[in-house]
Amino acid sequence: MQLETILPVCSPAHKQSFVLCVVAMCRAVPINDLIYRASQQSDKLHALSTMLTQELGSEAFPIDRVLACHTSSLQTPTDKEQALQVSESDLLSLARSLLQAWSDPLEVLSSSTNVLPYSAQSTLSKTIQKMQEHSKDLKDGLDILSSKMGPAAQTITSLPFIQTNEIGQDKITKLLSCFRRDSHKIDSFLKVLRCRAANMQPQVC
Amino acid sequence: MPLSRESLMYLSMARCSEPQRLYRRLEGRRNSDVVHECRDYHTAGKNSCFFNKNNTLIWVSYNITVVATNALGKTYSDPLDIDVVYIVQPHPPEKLEVTVMKDQGWPFLRVSWEPPRKADTRSGWITLIYELRVKLEDEESEWENHAAGQQKMFNIFSLRSGGTYLIQVRCKPDHGFWSEWSSTSYVKVPEYLHREKSVWILVLVFSAFILLLLTWLIHMNSHSLKHCMLPPVPGPKIKGFDKQLLKSGKSDEVFSALVVSDFPPTTSNYEDLLVEYLEVYMPEQQELMVDKGKDHDGCLKSIGLASDSDSGRGSCDSDNLLMDKSGAPKEEQQQQNQEGDQIGKETQGPKEAWEKEAMPCANEDVVSPDASSEKVKTWPSVFSPVTPYSPLDPHNSLEMHKQHCLSNTQFPPGSPSSDHYIKEALQSSYWEVCFNNNQPYPQTEVHPQLQAHSDRNISAVNDRNAPTGLLLPTRMTEYVEVQRVNEENKVLLHPIPSGHSREKACPWVGQRDDYSKVKGVDSDNGLLLQREVVEEESMEMAGAAESCYTSSIAFTTPKPTACSPVALPVQDERVLAVSGYVDTATVFSVHT
Repeated sequence: MQLETILPVCSPAHKQSFVLCVVAMCRAVPINDLIYRASQQSDKLHALSTMLTQELGSEAFPIDRVLACHTSSLQTPTDKEQALQVSESDLLSLARSLLQAWSDPLEVLSSSTNVLPYSAQSTLSKTIQKMQEHSKDLKDGLDILSSKMGPAAQTITSLPFIQTNEIGQDKITKLLSCFRRDSHKIDSFLKVLRCRAANMQPQVC
Repeated sequence: MPLSRESLMYLSMARCSEPQRLYRRLEGRRNSDVVHECRDYHTAGKNSCFFNKNNTLIWVSYNITVVATNALGKTYSDPLDIDVVYIVQPHPPEKLEVTVMKDQGWPFLRVSWEPPRKADTRSGWITLIYELRVKLEDEESEWENHAAGQQKMFNIFSLRSGGTYLIQVRCKPDHGFWSEWSSTSYVKVPEYLHREKSVWILVLVFSAFILLLLTWLIHMNSHSLKHCMLPPVPGPKIKGFDKQLLKSGKSDEVFSALVVSDFPPTTSNYEDLLVEYLEVYMPEQQELMVDKGKDHDGCLKSIGLASDSDSGRGSCDSDNLLMDKSGAPKEEQQQQNQEGDQIGKETQGPKEAWEKEAMPCANEDVVSPDASSEKVKTWPSVFSPVTPYSPLDPHNSLEMHKQHCLSNTQFPPGSPSSDHYIKEALQSSYWEVCFNNNQPYPQTEVHPQLQAHSDRNISAVNDRNAPTGLLLPTRMTEYVEVQRVNEENKVLLHPIPSGHSREKACPWVGQRDDYSKVKGVDSDNGLLLQREVVEEESMEMAGAAESCYTSSIAFTTPKPTACSPVALPVQDERVLAVSGYVDTATVFSVHT
């Protein structure tokens, strides 16, 4: 089904009207449900990462004073006012970019569990596996959602993760910390998006 | 170290162990090594530092240290790295409202609240999850937690009638800390009847009603139930014994009554009774009489059978009884009829003599069996020659041939005055009834026994009225016929309606002579009948007493035995006014 042909181009100039436009156009496809589902996935993803960092102990994750994640270059809102002014498409784009940036590091993490102490290895490997699954589901959902929201949502900023050699334990902890933050960002963006799309359902927000 | 993302960030520190006054300083550092010193040590309370929103950014890690300084130097605490966004604790929910609502008569609580004012849930920037808890006002009650999700309304069911409930609610961001519990809301549940209780009440009332009904039913049918479950045991009854006498309590009378009555009861030889039977006078109109007698008997059918199993009052109509017993007695009867016929023929000659002298006897079909005793005499009576027999005694020296028809009426046994009558009867004249000697049975053996029982027989006469034995004048000739032999070997006679007396035309003179008693047996095996004067009032038979039978008391002496010539010497001059007949019920038993 060619959604582009079905969907007229909705102007993303006004956030509210854009969403309404999208919703109105896609009456047959429940965007609200898609967004809701996506937000649920992101919530689970973030919960997993939080649990992982807490289980492995804070001492294992000494946060760098300069927590330079590979996704730091991506400009994201730094407070609530800024975040509420971002359009839905941009929010979606940001979410998708962040998500895309973590597919490779998660792979690296899953293969580097032997670095950690034995007690943490099983926990780490299991949790990382789950996180990969949720991340994959979320990615697919956001792809579908973005296709319904116009071309602006399709933009994905590339955030390459370059790591060729084996990462040490400190690297692992740092990566996990970065992932926790980025998953929280994704979750926050999608929940904002959910509230914006559910104007007819005030009980959600 | 809880922080509020929205408004403030405050840090609280544990007190240092040093007693000296400290100079505290909090430093907050971001990635860029910019140190922000805390300026507000009071807003958040003691040992705290408050960094407002300007200094806190989300998705940024901060490093916080506490510096203690005294005169000796500085000490740095361990750093604390946080990201503000992870340590959010919202304010508690607001505007908690509880209302009692009804769902088909059952009340429930509807709790509703608002998110904290400072939490921006409308934009979706923060997503709150709520939780509420409920408790009864009792001391022993525990809080009951309910997760409400993201909704701001909740229903509580299964309330205690009339109880007071406390309700609190709190919230937390999806990845944050729980807020404090909100202020308590009190609500009182109105009284209502629990459905289960009402069902139980209904069940109780219904079962009570059923119980009452059963009790009433049992009470109503107590008699029949008692009869069914505890069947009455027939008690021994002493024939001829007066219960009233016993109740009166006079021992003398009691004993005398015992003596007078035919106690101990004599066993009867029923076989002899069956074989031997009276030879009765058989006039020409024997068959007619027989029929009439039978008809007469029929009229007495209305006399009710005593229903009491212990009662000696069986059917007053022994013929009826015979008929009741499925025909067998009938055959016997007929057989005996035949025998009687034979006998009758044989005694034709002397019968004529009899006729002259015999008194008319009103045929009374009082067939009350042995009424003296209360036992039902269902003996298929030796319905011997049926026909009226007139006291025949060709050999007898009795001058008077008077036949008394003694009615064998029912009379209540044990009448108090019976003993009087008995004594009286002893002295009165009597008839001697002797059986026809044509009987094939040996008479000799009969005789002594008859004699032996004479007294007893007489005493067995237990009428209520004074049987004054009197012989009828020869004018009247009555015929009696043996109706049956009861189980006490008593030949029950009933009068055969004579020509002038029928069932309906039985004149009922006030006082009649009753010859229903056999006083004794004389040496010639003749029955000595006893004449009694019967009062009129006796209609004790079950109501159906027509005038066609006398109310003379039925009495039986034990054992009619047959002695050959039946002689009824009429010794008394008195005329039997009404029909009476010789009641061979007072036949003596064969053996003592």
